[in-house]
Amino acid sequence: MVNYSSRNSRDYPSRNRPRYHLGTALTQSLDMPRCLIIEDDADNARYTADGLRELGWLVTISHGGVEALERATREVWDVIVLDRMLPDDVDGLSILKTLRGLGKNTPVLVLSALAATDERVRGLKAGCDDYLTKPFAFSEFAARIEALLRRVESGKDVREMHIADMRVDLIARSVERSGKPILLQPREFRLLAYLMMHQGRPVTRTMLLEAVWDYRFDPQTNVIDVHISRLRNKIDKDFSPPLLHTVRGVGYMMSEDAAPDEAPA
Amino acid sequence: MRISVARWWGSIAFRQALIYGGLVLLTMGVLLGVFYQQTVVVWQRQIDHQIDTSTDRLAIYFRKNGADALATRINELLGDGIDSDTEIYLLVDPSGNKMVGNLALTPNLMAPVNGIVEQRVIRAGRNSQSRIRVTRLPNGGALAVGRDMRDQYDLERSIRRACLFGASIALLMAVAGALVFRHQLERRIGTIRQTALQIERGDLSQRVPVSQQDDEFARLSRDINAMLDRIHALMEGVRHVSNTIAHNIRTPLSRILARLHKAHKVDSREELAAATGIAIREIEDLNVVFDKLLQIAEVESGARRQSFAPVSLNAVAVNVLELYDPVAEAKGLRLTHALGGNPHAAGDGDLLANAMANLLDNAIKYTAPGGAIHVDTVRRESVVAITVRDNGCGIPIEERSRVGTRFHRLDRSVPGWGLGLASVMAIARLHGGTLQLDDAEPGLIARLTLPALDGV
Repeated sequence: MVNYSSRNSRDYPSRNRPRYHLGTALTQSLDMPRCLIIEDDADNARYTADGLRELGWLVTISHGGVEALERATREVWDVIVLDRMLPDDVDGLSILKTLRGLGKNTPVLVLSALAATDERVRGLKAGCDDYLTKPFAFSEFAARIEALLRRVESGKDVREMHIADMRVDLIARSVERSGKPILLQPREFRLLAYLMMHQGRPVTRTMLLEAVWDYRFDPQTNVIDVHISRLRNKIDKDFSPPLLHTVRGVGYMMSEDAAPDEAPA
Repeated sequence: MRISVARWWGSIAFRQALIYGGLVLLTMGVLLGVFYQQTVVVWQRQIDHQIDTSTDRLAIYFRKNGADALATRINELLGDGIDSDTEIYLLVDPSGNKMVGNLALTPNLMAPVNGIVEQRVIRAGRNSQSRIRVTRLPNGGALAVGRDMRDQYDLERSIRRACLFGASIALLMAVAGALVFRHQLERRIGTIRQTALQIERGDLSQRVPVSQQDDEFARLSRDINAMLDRIHALMEGVRHVSNTIAHNIRTPLSRILARLHKAHKVDSREELAAATGIAIREIEDLNVVFDKLLQIAEVESGARRQSFAPVSLNAVAVNVLELYDPVAEAKGLRLTHALGGNPHAAGDGDLLANAMANLLDNAIKYTAPGGAIHVDTVRRESVVAITVRDNGCGIPIEERSRVGTRFHRLDRSVPGWGLGLASVMAIARLHGGTLQLDDAEPGLIARLTLPALDGV
């Protein structure tokens, strides 16, 4: 195990490496992102923890109670995963409120079986950064956790983003690839910008629908796929290598490398 | 005794009737009091007045004509046969001897007092209760004028007795009326309570018998029966929903289970991989079904009404159209729109977008390539509407009442769960609006109508 006390003095470490190549991640434990999972269901916690560890995370599980609150507040985490229903009728949100009350801005993903909108709103009001309802697909969970980590990293003002020979200007809202301008509809631009912001990491259809269209419902037809294929036609069709990849069972990913669905994690 | 009094007092009918009876008694008491006052007291005052005028007249007569003339006058008065049963006169000379009169001279009679005094005297040789006024005459003698009160007292007694008798009858009637009233009310309420008890025990088909008379109880019974009918219908609906939900969740579950059991027995790696793959897909589908069912339930609970805000239907339509435009294009459908009137409604923007997305989704699904879909928004007086019109296969008229029930699907070959229109209807109801389905000949016109928001 890693000695946590030695890490307390450090702030968020830099991690610029792609984390979809697992072999190296295990040897770089000092650079590994740390996640605290507060969840009383042991099987569920182990399952999510194992999945995150495979993605190169350092994961600690706490089953709730005072211990969970102490670990959440005393130690430094990159992301905290918090279950709403904890033993002894403790609402996970109370831990979240305490954490925020202490001025800690650690990104928190709240897990809950309570799907109703007002429950979600309560979670967001208490200061959580994302809210996921149980049961969830691990891919959705992982994509959201990675997005939270990304949010902390990209706190600075970004004016321009690059990938391979493509340049996205966020101020002028223009895109060019191999020096040729590409014309995008406003929504297509938002879609591309979101994918670019998460480059190297898969994003799910639900995340796209929430971030790009602001919708919280799930359309019956896979409308997102059609929009992606339109975008792909504009940015990938006449160029090489392809940048917008489909990650099977998860969603989509912007990456210079080949799509990871040939080598799933 | 205490218990039975408590039981009576526990009846609102009894209490009301008793209070009413008490009020009647009070009214009667006041009435009798006034009657007594008007007869007895006024009469007594009249008698006193008579005594006073009589005394004054005789005193004047004395001053004019002297004592002997007065004595003669009194003798005349006593002998004239008027009021001879009740009149009292007595004339005393200055030395204190009786000159004339029908009153025995007793020592206390001539005690010096002012005004009329009621006392026991001896009149015409008999004891009598009388009101008497004694006046000193200028010659030192005295004149007593009075009236026997026996008649008066007899009358007073009979009036009192009549009053008491009447009051007791009234009291008896009030109590008896309270009891009868309580019994009547109890009997009418009893039938309602009896029905309620039977329903509580599980027999929901029971209804309160409605009496022939069209009174308050008949109306109440009819209201209760209407309420019970509504509850019954709702419970049937819930039962239907639970059954369909159970059916639609058990079927895939048993499919998954059978597939996994088979793979488990066969012990082939490929078979197992295929089975888990199918299981994962089916469970993901179930998850989606659950999400949609919960969302419908959440909408139906009305909790989201709290976050209602003015929503522009045109803005909602533009965004949803933009979301679906590539989908329609990919299927070779022409998607056109005409947005007008700047319609606004109080609502939840996300839910309204959801409803419109569902309508558009359906139109795209059920319209063959080459078809056309047209979306328009209007504002008409107090309502606003979004209409999605397609020229696809439409919905047969006999099916139209059943679409919108959960899991009801028109065409099982088209992917979906049969929850789209159910969700649109729930969203329409949440917003106080309706979803109307009409024939576009060919095709379907789906119109979501909502109350318009003024002043936006």
